Amino acid sequence: MNVTEQTLVLGIETSCDETAAALVMGGYDVISSAVSSQVDLHAQFGGVVPEIASRAHLELLNPMIARAVVEAGVSEQRIDAVACTIGPGLVGALLVGVSAAKALSLVWDVPFVGVNHMEAHLYAAFLEDPTLEFPLVVLLVSGGHTMLVEMRDHGHYRLLGQTIDDAAGEAFDKVARFLGLGYPGGPAVDNEALHGDPEAINFPRAMMHDGLDFSFSGLKTSVINHVRKHPDVSAADVAASFQAAVVDVLVAKARRAAELVGARGLALGGGVAANSLLRERFLTACADGGFHGFLPSREWCTDNAAMIAATGWHRLRSDGPTPLDTGASPNLRLPLRP
Amino acid sequence: MLILGIETATQQVSVAIGGHEGVLSVFELSRGRRHAETLAPAIEFVCRQAGIEMTEFGVVAVDIGPGLFTGMRVGLSAGKAIAQALRVPMIGISSLDLLAFPLRHADRTVAAVIDARKGELFYAFYRTVPGGMQRITDARVGSIDDLVGDLMARGQTIVCVGDGALRYRDEISSGFRCDFAEQFLSHPSAAPLVQLAHAKALREEWVNPWEIQPMYLRAPDAQINWSTRAGGAQ
Ligand SMILES: [Zn+2]
Repeated sequence: MNVTEQTLVLGIETSCDETAAALVMGGYDVISSAVSSQVDLHAQFGGVVPEIASRAHLELLNPMIARAVVEAGVSEQRIDAVACTIGPGLVGALLVGVSAAKALSLVWDVPFVGVNHMEAHLYAAFLEDPTLEFPLVVLLVSGGHTMLVEMRDHGHYRLLGQTIDDAAGEAFDKVARFLGLGYPGGPAVDNEALHGDPEAINFPRAMMHDGLDFSFSGLKTSVINHVRKHPDVSAADVAASFQAAVVDVLVAKARRAAELVGARGLALGGGVAANSLLRERFLTACADGGFHGFLPSREWCTDNAAMIAATGWHRLRSDGPTPLDTGASPNLRLPLRP
Repeated sequence: MLILGIETATQQVSVAIGGHEGVLSVFELSRGRRHAETLAPAIEFVCRQAGIEMTEFGVVAVDIGPGLFTGMRVGLSAGKAIAQALRVPMIGISSLDLLAFPLRHADRTVAAVIDARKGELFYAFYRTVPGGMQRITDARVGSIDDLVGDLMARGQTIVCVGDGALRYRDEISSGFRCDFAEQFLSHPSAAPLVQLAHAKALREEWVNPWEIQPMYLRAPDAQINWSTRAGGAQ
């Protein structure tokens, strides 16, 4: 198949608690993007419940696909390929999307492309700035992952560092739950921190001067110990000080990684990239370090199908279609091709 | 009118094409690769072998359970996507109805029993009526003791069919004397699915793809735990 600037890809994303469909042309041009978040369904449980997520995806996927097609104002016959997240993620949730995507590729007689969700987060930055130059370092921070990746070219990645325990987003969720701030933890801590003093408590910056890996479980324990020892402490001060500790480490290591590989640019990705302090400090660090800093809009940081369609376009161009007997891979890793 | 039938509610994957002449093509696999890997190639295979284009289907029929949740959703999600893309209606049929249907000539009460895992079973009772089987109880989820209790309450010779009946054969027959259907009938198949769907299609008993509802019969575990906890806190 000849993959061109005119090739229109339908993207489907159901790996966690967002059901999404989008149409992207030529790998960069977002024609439409529909996302339905299930956050309210999971809020009472304080985390994503896999069976509830899978049931909701089955209900919501058809309407999301219909909305993406209608909003694009194109005929379904115009769609050239169907791309879908095949992992990592919740297996039952992934299977809803994968089954629908393969079925659509059969009906429309177009290629199916299985997409790695983490790789798609790397591509989110390109949706708004296709001119980003390589080598590019991407700091990917979400509920499930914290990693620093060097993109040397399209499809060529090197893992520079990752968390050795909790993901940053997981730490936000746990601290928010402990402080009774609600779910999801990222926005909850972000809001509470607005009223607090980030220097009130000096929480540890784990592994700050030690390589490019991260560790957040000790920080979470320090927060719990501090609040137990000082029951009258202001939740806002704890939230602000905790957030400052996380952001300090993320930004310092991202900058160091970019310097190490001689990166032209530094980009943020993943759900935690919506954090306001992280966004602010990240841009300052890029300016200081002399890198082209890139912050995708919040809608492309969180899970969406436009990044899936965009990645699908690149993978279809480089690797061709994915066989129809491919299933979901809940533990799929980023394909490392230096 | 051509009907595409998709069946993934137990560990078996089954796809069939049906029409006015009956079942035209069937694919069935009960071991090896899993639902999501097998289903799309199976649909492609039955179509190609029967010389039928996807665009010729007028109805998509699916097994709506009860059954294994993840497997069931593979078939439902594929079926819904196909029906939506083709702009054709869907017909949903219960896995228990599909198990009972091949025993319509037995002239006995039939208990269709599906393994629900975690020591539970999905089951319903059927009786023979002219031209098919009629469900005489609601589909329910229960323990083996619940099933044996319900069998005894019927007080007549009953034929049990399904992977649940097969798995708990000893437990069932130690509590109650009954017969068991042949092992090859233990999984719902897409062949009876397209046959039953054809009869419904003639009566236009169909739904839009966004209206079709899976029959879970069991709340997600987290919700059960949550209501128990919430109840205990009151
Ligand atoms: Zn994600």
